Amino acid sequence: MMRGGKVWAWFIMFLGVLYFFLPLLATFIFSLKARLGELSFQAYINIFNSPQFMYNFLASVLWAVFTIIVGILLFVPTAFVIRLRVPKARSSVEFITLLPFVIPPIVYVFGLVRTYSQPPLLIVDSPFLLIAGYTILSMPYMYRSVDTGLRSIDVRTLTEAAQSLGAGWTTILFRVILPNIRTAILSGAFLSFAIVIGELILAQYLVKPAFAPYMAYVMQQKAFEPAAMAIVSFALTWIAMGIISLIGRGQQVQVAGGR
Amino acid sequence: MAFLEINNVNKSFSKDTVAVQDFNLQVQTGELVSFLGPSGCGKTTTLRMVAGFEIPTSGRIVINGKDVTDVPPNQRNVGMVFQAYALFPNMTVAGNIGFGMKIAKKPPEQIKKRVEEMLKLIHMDGFGERYPYQLSGGQQQRVALARALALSPSILLLDEPLSALDAKIRVMLRSEIRSIQQQLGITTIYVTHDQEEALSISDRVVVMYQGRMEQVGPPFEIYNFPQTEFVAQFVGTLNSVEAEVVDPAGQILQLSGQKIQAAQGVENKQPGAKVKISIRPERLSFANEEKKANLLECTVETITFLGSIVRIRVDVGSLLLNMDTFNNPFLELPKIGDRAQVTFSREAVLVL
Repeated sequence: MMRGGKVWAWFIMFLGVLYFFLPLLATFIFSLKARLGELSFQAYINIFNSPQFMYNFLASVLWAVFTIIVGILLFVPTAFVIRLRVPKARSSVEFITLLPFVIPPIVYVFGLVRTYSQPPLLIVDSPFLLIAGYTILSMPYMYRSVDTGLRSIDVRTLTEAAQSLGAGWTTILFRVILPNIRTAILSGAFLSFAIVIGELILAQYLVKPAFAPYMAYVMQQKAFEPAAMAIVSFALTWIAMGIISLIGRGQQVQVAGGR
Repeated sequence: MAFLEINNVNKSFSKDTVAVQDFNLQVQTGELVSFLGPSGCGKTTTLRMVAGFEIPTSGRIVINGKDVTDVPPNQRNVGMVFQAYALFPNMTVAGNIGFGMKIAKKPPEQIKKRVEEMLKLIHMDGFGERYPYQLSGGQQQRVALARALALSPSILLLDEPLSALDAKIRVMLRSEIRSIQQQLGITTIYVTHDQEEALSISDRVVVMYQGRMEQVGPPFEIYNFPQTEFVAQFVGTLNSVEAEVVDPAGQILQLSGQKIQAAQGVENKQPGAKVKISIRPERLSFANEEKKANLLECTVETITFLGSIVRIRVDVGSLLLNMDTFNNPFLELPKIGDRAQVTFSREAVLVL
């Protein structure tokens, strides 16, 4: 009975893996066919040699870095204060952090454009609006990672212990809380990175250089290069995930109050 | 003037819940005072008000002549030890102990020296480079104590510091805490729900119940002369039974149809009134060796072996009384169902 169940489990997992990997494999093989009659990395060479690719890609990396910084500065203190002082607000804040999943980016970006394209808030051209938008889109990942990290330590007692030793809020946040949720923040950061790199609509409608809109643009012009770019973006995401799990594994999980 | 004064302190968290009511206490320099009571009695809330984590709804807290009622916790210079150890997981033992001094921007050599002193004090020399997760619970709590003491705080506050530890380590560590406290002569408040702990290490005990101070006094007094029924019940085990007043002037009561005499406490009662009396189990003994003022006919109901003591339950009419006697290998115990006489002094009868 157990054996049969196990075989079925493996079979279904195998189907799932096929479903996921076959299109990826097909894309990869297709991306290697830029030269007629042979398999080559020509498409990859083309995109990496294209100055436009590098320009758009580096722009996305820059947006991602700023998004991560803003996200950490915004969500770590928020989650900390909510855990410490207003635990009752947790469920409503959690609901708010999930809103980007419910509201389609296209609706969101129209809202941004409408709101910020008239005085006194004429900032629709500012890169800060784009970063603010990315911060909201990555909020579910960043906030939840941080909150999960805070759950694994005894925030209140650690804070009070630091207070009784003379520490002020900044010291507590930077020397006591942050180092102990480092892994959680890093995983939130890499998830945010992956989100920003893959995000199409926001940059497109706010007319800013970014990787995904460029990929969409190239797709309309060329055949093999977009496939190669899709593989590159997948690889980037996976590297980010791999780093998250590597950091997570190395971390000694230690909980205040744990025996 | 007392070193720590808690004057008329009240604390309520909402309109209907009063956590601490009318708390008044003067703690002398170098004194160790425990707050003892069941959970929810307000002992931890009071401690947290001294630490500055809670602000009293009314009343003042004065440390060494300075009113600190509205001073934030990081400016009070009080050392605090928590039940959950609360060591910083990202720092070594030395980092934890030196944390307060680092914040106070003390020079590194001075910090290093002090950390070593502290490690010696808690008998953990050579543990400086370890991380908290590499230590046992008892060791972690000793480090937490060293961390709290490193800044030479004016007051040491301990919030159920031993509750998370094994029974054996608990007993060992509590005498260690007491000896360090006496060695440093530091004024200390110790919160616990464990009466044995409170009685064994304190200069004075404050028994608390439902936000109020029930009784304040040295352990000996708290145990032997409880002033309220709650204190009598909570501290130690107790026989608490109802008796009827027969002769107030002669301190005579009637218990299950048999007359007994108290030393005091009956004089103001009316004849025929029902009163609660308490007798500690260890004050009772069988009458075959030595007879005291009071003698009750009884039947042996159960005999329970508890290691160092043997608890015998006797039936006096319709009332059951516990009697404790020290264990020894030659102890001659009655059999269940035997008729016997228990005896106790007049002073053993506490009229509440």
